[in-house]
Amino acid sequence: MKDGAGQHGPMRHRAAYVAFDRFPSSKGSAVHIAQMADELFTRFGGGLLAAIGGGDLPRYQREGTREVARFDAAVPNLIDRAEAFSGWVAAHLRPHWETLEVCHVRDPWSALPAVADGRRHKVVYEVNGLPSIEMSHTWPWAAPAALGKIRELERFCLERSDAVVVPSRVIGEAVRGLGVPDGRIHLVPNGADVVGRPRRPADAPERYLVYVGALQPWQGLDVLMRAFARLADMPGLRLVVCASVPERRAKPVRRLAERIGVAERVDWRFTLPHHEVAAWLAHAEVSVAPLTGCARNLDQGCAPLKVIESMAAGVPVVASDLPAVRELMADGRHGRLVPADRPAELARAVRILLEYPDEAAEMGRRGRAHIEESLTWARSRARLAEVYRTLTRGR
Amino acid sequence: MNRCTVTTGFFVLGRCGRSAVAACPQCGRPVCGEHAGPNALCPECAAAQGYRTQDPHHPGWTHGYRREYYQGSSQAYNDGYWYSSFDQYDRGAFNPGDDYSYGGDWGPDDDTGFVDS
Repeated sequence: MKDGAGQHGPMRHRAAYVAFDRFPSSKGSAVHIAQMADELFTRFGGGLLAAIGGGDLPRYQREGTREVARFDAAVPNLIDRAEAFSGWVAAHLRPHWETLEVCHVRDPWSALPAVADGRRHKVVYEVNGLPSIEMSHTWPWAAPAALGKIRELERFCLERSDAVVVPSRVIGEAVRGLGVPDGRIHLVPNGADVVGRPRRPADAPERYLVYVGALQPWQGLDVLMRAFARLADMPGLRLVVCASVPERRAKPVRRLAERIGVAERVDWRFTLPHHEVAAWLAHAEVSVAPLTGCARNLDQGCAPLKVIESMAAGVPVVASDLPAVRELMADGRHGRLVPADRPAELARAVRILLEYPDEAAEMGRRGRAHIEESLTWARSRARLAEVYRTLTRGR
Repeated sequence: MNRCTVTTGFFVLGRCGRSAVAACPQCGRPVCGEHAGPNALCPECAAAQGYRTQDPHHPGWTHGYRREYYQGSSQAYNDGYWYSSFDQYDRGAFNPGDDYSYGGDWGPDDDTGFVDS
């Protein structure tokens, strides 16, 4: 629909991608959304991306045959907000109800309006995590009964979806546990793009470890700080935290850093754009992913983009030895896997890498090669395209 | 000279910046020849027209809302499904503002996904 009417009148899309997540943003999820939605829209000659807005993001945007609609109502209570979003999504899918062939969703509240009765489109439900598990960590006051209802909601939406896409085998297991048959579950791993070495950030310290990502308790920043305290004897070594969340989210971790006496050696960067994070990664000695061994990471699984992106940047990774991480990297080959929640073990692994720089550099190179061979976005997108193809065959 | 202020891009956003030829009759922003619609509408206002208004003060809102309310509640009575089954107690735990919940102090600059990487 490149004609004038398509560009200026109402558009009718064959594909929609719905995410209860701000887009674009500096979080890993935004990279993921950009890749998946781009693949969907490439397959279907454009489409509608319905996401969260706010800030100075425009409510609507048009780029050729693509349309972005952003939900920006300020509803503080999360469940109220999720339901308001659901209603908004329903209203935004309605004009396309007759033309829609695939609706790709990422969470139960996005899925609800998409799996409604009387639809002719197929629903692809991408499960990066299960709110019924994850929200017990983010909202410790949530009653088990409330989480149970969220679980029912997940089950309802999963049951009615035509395909379920998961980024790791661990999450696939969790989804299977909710009753989704094997044949409907498709593994589409996260990826990274291997690009040339970016320029060293102007304000980068001589030698530093890097942590990239959000700051929730399950990310294990506390473990990292305690490990870093044990590396106080390494001259000039600093820790750079590239947080994907606003500065005020760092308060608990900063308080801890002060209490254990490492705050002076930690540099903070907040919500940097993706390419700047890539530069910080590329020039670090070691990238650390200290995920904790909690239900969120173990039962539900996770698919830490930071591990993949660190390898793509050619940096050795020291990460927690969790099943979901083991799917991405091998101990001793691309970095070191250490027991979760053990600061001493983490510090020891980092120290050894720092003391054997040639070995470390070799691990970085192997990590990069590993990404190039098997974990590029191009490969993930090809797998996703195959899911779309299978679903819409015969149309 | 006025510049077109339409937001461009998908993952990396920018401003168009070409010289403007008109002002959008609805929001008043300057738009260039490329981005001006038939009535000089900017793409944002043109796209919004394709969807029903979300503003409850707009006369167009009532009709759609009423129809949906009847549709929605008839569905709810037929099959005790999901939309309204979180009670006040369930919802209470998801209020922002208490320091105990990590989700706590929700602000407009926060991202809002359920699952965070």
